[in-house]
Amino acid sequence: MSSNKIINVSELKKSYGSKKVLKGVTFSAQSGQIIGLLGPNGCGKTTLIKILTGLIKDYDGVARIDNEEPGAYTKSIIAYLPEKSYLPDWMRPADAIEYFADFYKDFDRQKAEKMLLRFGLDLKQKLKTMSKGQQEKLRLALVLCRRAKLYILDEPLGGVDPAARSHILDLIMENHEKDSTILISTHLISDVEYIFDRVLMINNGQVVIDSHVNELREKGRTVEEVFKEVFSYAW
Amino acid sequence: MLGKLLKHEFKQTARYVSLIYISAAVTTLVMFIAMLTKATAISVIGSSVLAFAGFLSVVFTVVLVIGNFYNTLYTNRGYLSFTLPVKCSSLLISKVLVSLVWFVISFVVCGLIYFVIYLNVKSQVDGEQMGGVVDTIRESGLLEMLPSGKMIAKAVVIIVFYIFISILTFVSFVYFSLSLSNTRPLQQHPWMFGFLIFCGSYIVTNTISAWLNEHLPLCIALTEDNLKIAFSQAQNIDALYSIGLGGMVFMTLAAVGMLFATGWIMEHKVNIK
Repeated sequence: MSSNKIINVSELKKSYGSKKVLKGVTFSAQSGQIIGLLGPNGCGKTTLIKILTGLIKDYDGVARIDNEEPGAYTKSIIAYLPEKSYLPDWMRPADAIEYFADFYKDFDRQKAEKMLLRFGLDLKQKLKTMSKGQQEKLRLALVLCRRAKLYILDEPLGGVDPAARSHILDLIMENHEKDSTILISTHLISDVEYIFDRVLMINNGQVVIDSHVNELREKGRTVEEVFKEVFSYAW
Repeated sequence: MLGKLLKHEFKQTARYVSLIYISAAVTTLVMFIAMLTKATAISVIGSSVLAFAGFLSVVFTVVLVIGNFYNTLYTNRGYLSFTLPVKCSSLLISKVLVSLVWFVISFVVCGLIYFVIYLNVKSQVDGEQMGGVVDTIRESGLLEMLPSGKMIAKAVVIIVFYIFISILTFVSFVYFSLSLSNTRPLQQHPWMFGFLIFCGSYIVTNTISAWLNEHLPLCIALTEDNLKIAFSQAQNIDALYSIGLGGMVFMTLAAVGMLFATGWIMEHKVNIK
């Protein structure tokens, strides 16, 4: 196993009762790559992410992050942005910063404070009085202000208006650690594909395409075109 | 990391509990002022409010312990808790410790509240009436039946320990029930299954505990001059007061077992929606 493989997944299987969600997913990721994790709803993306982030432990096969099974160590090197809002509504940005600074050694408190001020967020304002967009900015800032080895972003543009999408992508590109790996799960392929180095398309619990974006582009195709072709049945 | 977990656990729970304690403190202050100024009406209303606050502090703690565990682990907030770089056992220990502390505080506050009410009532009743009550108790011979102060102190320690074990058992059963009901097969109706699992397991273990207390030849006996562990059934020993220990030992083991089971479920089986 190469030491610069930040993700190594082999024959990963997961079932919920009789329903097989992952049917032997195998892939690995080198440090420094930006990977798009693509697939229709219910294809197993979220389950795969939950396994990588240590939220699901009962699976078959091999999952390694930085050569370790998902656990306390891997959680310390993964900056994870879930699709769902996970901060309690009584919290203020200042509380959230303190929380992250306490638990993550790689969290840059000063950078977070500066970024939130740049977003126009008041550090003392309670989350429940913030707009959905402001809350998303806060969650994104908390993740990007970690010097993590692996960033896992689940639908980072999901609730963001089209005008703000490119701004957020710029933010991700500017603020992630340069030798880190980013795994982005998204439906908004056309907005995001220009930042991908590589795409993983999952269908029916299996990896159906694992390709460098340049290879697709050399054939004169965009990621979105390939996606539509592969998942044409889903439209 | 356990220290940081405890810090944030206290921080988020204190926000809710402090409201009830602040209101109890304000009411107590008002009552004392009323007592000093002989404002009887305010004093009586204050007593009623305090009695309610005392009851509420315990009920509120129960709700807090259940709600906080569920909300921080098995709702969206679980995405934050379960991705912290700590072991699930540390998460669980921090929650158990903080719950125990809040329960102890709520019982102490409740005790203090009722003591304040007692003082208030005493100030309302004139000395002659109080003297009459004390004389009645003395004439009944109840005071002579009481063991020495040293023995009472030992008995209080045992009762406190017993209460502590009961709280630990309650907390561990609640956590186990909520965790099991948030595994994949049951999580469509987590509250209903949680309630059923709690009631079922609590009733079964308490029934076993009661049977062991009665039948196992192991008890604590309080006599006039001694407090001892005896290898006899509680009802067969000649003492002022005796209580079976078999049930307490069993409940302690059950509580520890439930906590281990909860930790295992959290580590391996929990599925956050």
